[in-house]
Amino acid sequence: MKRVLSSAVVGCVLVLMVVNGTSCGDAKNSPPRATPRDRQARLVKEHAVNPTAQPRIAFVTNGIAEFWVIAQRGAEQAGVDTGATVTVHMPAEGLADQKRMLEDLLAQGIDGIAVSPIDPTNQVEVLDQVARRTLLITHDSDAPASARLTYIGLDNYDAGRMAGKLVKEALPDGGEIAIFVGRLEQDNARRRRQGAVDEIFGRARDESRVEDPNTPMTVGKYTILNTLTDQFDRAKAKANVEDMMSANPNLACVVGLFTYNPVLALEALRGAGKIGKIKVVGFDEAPETLAGIRDGSVVGTVVQDPYNYGYRSMKLLDALCRGKADALPASGFVDIPAVTITPANVEAFEADLKKTLAGGAEKSAK
Amino acid sequence: MKKSIGIASILIAIIVATAILSPNFLTAYNIENLLRRTALFGILSVGVGFVILTAGIDLSIGGVVCLAGILTPYLLTQMGWSPTETVAMIVLMSIAIGVLQGGLVAYGRIQPFLVTLCGLLMFRGIARGITQDQTQGFQGQFQDLRWLGNGRISIPWVEHFAVPAPVLSLVIIAVLSMIFLNRTVWGRWMKALGRNPSAALHSGIPVARLQVLAYAICSLLAGYGGLLFVCDVGSAQPSDFGNFYELYAIAAAVLGGYRLAGGEGSVIGVIIGAAVMQVLRNAITLVPWLPDTAEFAVIGIVILIGVLGDEFLRRYAASRVRTQTKGIS
Repeated sequence: MKRVLSSAVVGCVLVLMVVNGTSCGDAKNSPPRATPRDRQARLVKEHAVNPTAQPRIAFVTNGIAEFWVIAQRGAEQAGVDTGATVTVHMPAEGLADQKRMLEDLLAQGIDGIAVSPIDPTNQVEVLDQVARRTLLITHDSDAPASARLTYIGLDNYDAGRMAGKLVKEALPDGGEIAIFVGRLEQDNARRRRQGAVDEIFGRARDESRVEDPNTPMTVGKYTILNTLTDQFDRAKAKANVEDMMSANPNLACVVGLFTYNPVLALEALRGAGKIGKIKVVGFDEAPETLAGIRDGSVVGTVVQDPYNYGYRSMKLLDALCRGKADALPASGFVDIPAVTITPANVEAFEADLKKTLAGGAEKSAK
Repeated sequence: MKKSIGIASILIAIIVATAILSPNFLTAYNIENLLRRTALFGILSVGVGFVILTAGIDLSIGGVVCLAGILTPYLLTQMGWSPTETVAMIVLMSIAIGVLQGGLVAYGRIQPFLVTLCGLLMFRGIARGITQDQTQGFQGQFQDLRWLGNGRISIPWVEHFAVPAPVLSLVIIAVLSMIFLNRTVWGRWMKALGRNPSAALHSGIPVARLQVLAYAICSLLAGYGGLLFVCDVGSAQPSDFGNFYELYAIAAAVLGGYRLAGGEGSVIGVIIGAAVMQVLRNAITLVPWLPDTAEFAVIGIVILIGVLGDEFLRRYAASRVRTQTKGIS
C-alpha cells in the first residue's frame, strides 16, 4: 500500500514538473518576460505602427463622489470629441473592488486605462499587472513606483501648500490647527497634508518629509494638534471634529482635506455654536463649502479640476491608441493645477461649475 | 436590571479612567456629544435586540440605515415631498422591509443570516441606484425635521447643558420596548420563543408571527435610526452611509447581555453597551497619548476584558448558588 502511495506521489510530482516545464516554454514563445515598463513602451510603439481605429478606453476612480461625476462628464466629453468608446468605473468598496474592476477591464481586452490608485505603494503589483496588458496612466493620485506612462493631475503637495496659505491668512496671529481627512493611506492625502503643514510652518519645499500625523507639532506661533481620519464614515468625520473641539478648547482652525471634511466640520461647528469662531479651510467644491465661503463661515477652499482629469486623460489615451506617441509628456506629469476659491471669486466659480455640469450633460446626451 | 451590572461597571470604569486622563472629557459639550451618539447607535441596538431575542440575527441594519438615510433628503429635496410624507414613507418602508425579511425567515424557513445578508446588499444597492450614487443632503433646509437628529432640548435653570434630541427618541423607544417585553403577553412569548423554540411552538405560541414582529421592529428602528443619523450629519453618501453599523448594533446588544442563542437580554443593558462603544471611541481622541490608529485595538481589548470579567462573575455567582442549595439540602 505504502509503495503504491509513494509511487503515486512521485508520479504526481513528475506530472507537475512536466506541466510547469511546458508552461515555462509557452512563456518563452510568447513575448519575452519584459519588465512592465518595457512592456508599456512596447505597447506605445505597437500602437504607433498599428493604430487602433476605435479605441476602447476606461476611466477608473478611487471611489464614488460628486467630484468623480464632474470627471465623468469630462471623460465622456473626450469620448464625444475623439470618437473613442469611453467607460467610467467607480469602485464602491475600496481597494479590492478597484482591483476587481481593473481585472475585469483587462479581461474585456480594453485598449487603455486611466486610474486613480487608492493605495499607490501597495498597489504597484496590481498596476504593473495592468501595465503588462494595456496602456496605463494614473490620474488624481499618482503611483510613481508603478510602470504607468504618466500622471495627470495636480501636484497635491502644491495644493496642500495653497491650503496652508489660507490657514495663515485666517490666523495671522497663529493658533491651534487640526487636520481632518478620509484616510492617509492615499498618496494625495499624504502629500496634501505635508504641503499644508510645511506651508503653515514656513518650511522649504521637501516632498519626502515624513512626520507622524498624530504627534502635536509647534513651530513659531502655529501648533498643529493632530490629523484624524474617518475612513469615509460621515458620522465619524463629524465626531472627529467634535472630539477635537472637546479636547482642545483653544482650537482656532480646522482643515478638511477631502470633499466632505469641511462640510462636516461646518455641521460640528454649528452644533457647538462656533461658526466663525473656529476657521474652516477646505478642499474641493461641495455645495455646502461654497455656501460657507459665501456666508463667511469658510475661509476658502482649494479646488481641483476633475473635469480635466477626465477629459485630458481620455484624450491622451485616445491619442496613444491612435499611434500618436508624441502626445506623451517627457516629464511623466501632466499638470492640472489647483485654484484657491475665496469670497472674492466664489460666485464666478459656481457659475462656471454649473455651466460645465449642464453643458456636459447636454453633450453626453447626444 | 441585575444583568446589566457587569456592563454598567465597565462603562463607569471607562468614564472614570478617561475623566482622569483627559480634563476635557467631562465638559458639557462633550457629554452632549456622547449622549447624542449613544442615542443614535442605541436605537439601532435596541432594535436588533428583538431579533437576537428570538435567536435570529439582522445583518441588514447598515443597508436599511443607508436606504432611509439616503431617501430622507432625496424625497425632501429631489422629489419635493413634505417632511410628514417623507417620515411616513420611511416608517412604512422600514416596516415592510422587516415584514419581508421576517416572513422569509419565519414562513420560508430560510436562515436569518442569509436573508438579512442579502438585505444588506440589496438595500444599499437600491439606495445607490435611486440616487445614481450622488450624495444627498438637506441643502440647508428642513431644520424642523433635522431637529430630531441634531436638536437640543434645554433644561430649565441649566445654562450650558442641553439634552440632545435623539435622547428623547431613545428614551421613548426604550420605555415602550421594556413595557412590551416585560408587561405584555407577546413580549413574554417572545422571550420564551428564544429560550426554547420547540417548547414555545408546542405550547401554542404563534412563533412565526412573533418572528415577523421582531424583524419588523428591528427594521423600523434601523430605518428611524437612519433618518436620525442623516438629520444629524446633514448629508449621506449611498456607497458608505451606515457601513458596518449592523456590527456596532449587534456588538452593543451582545455587550449589553443579549445571548446570540436567544431568550435573554435587557434593554437598559443594550443602551449601556452602545454607550461603552461610543465613550471608548471618544476617549481615544481625547486622551493625548492614545494613538488614533489604535482605535479598534483598544475597543477590542476593553470589550474582551469586560466580557471575560462578566463571564467570571456569572460563574462565580452560579457556583455560590450551587453551594448554598447544597447546604440547604
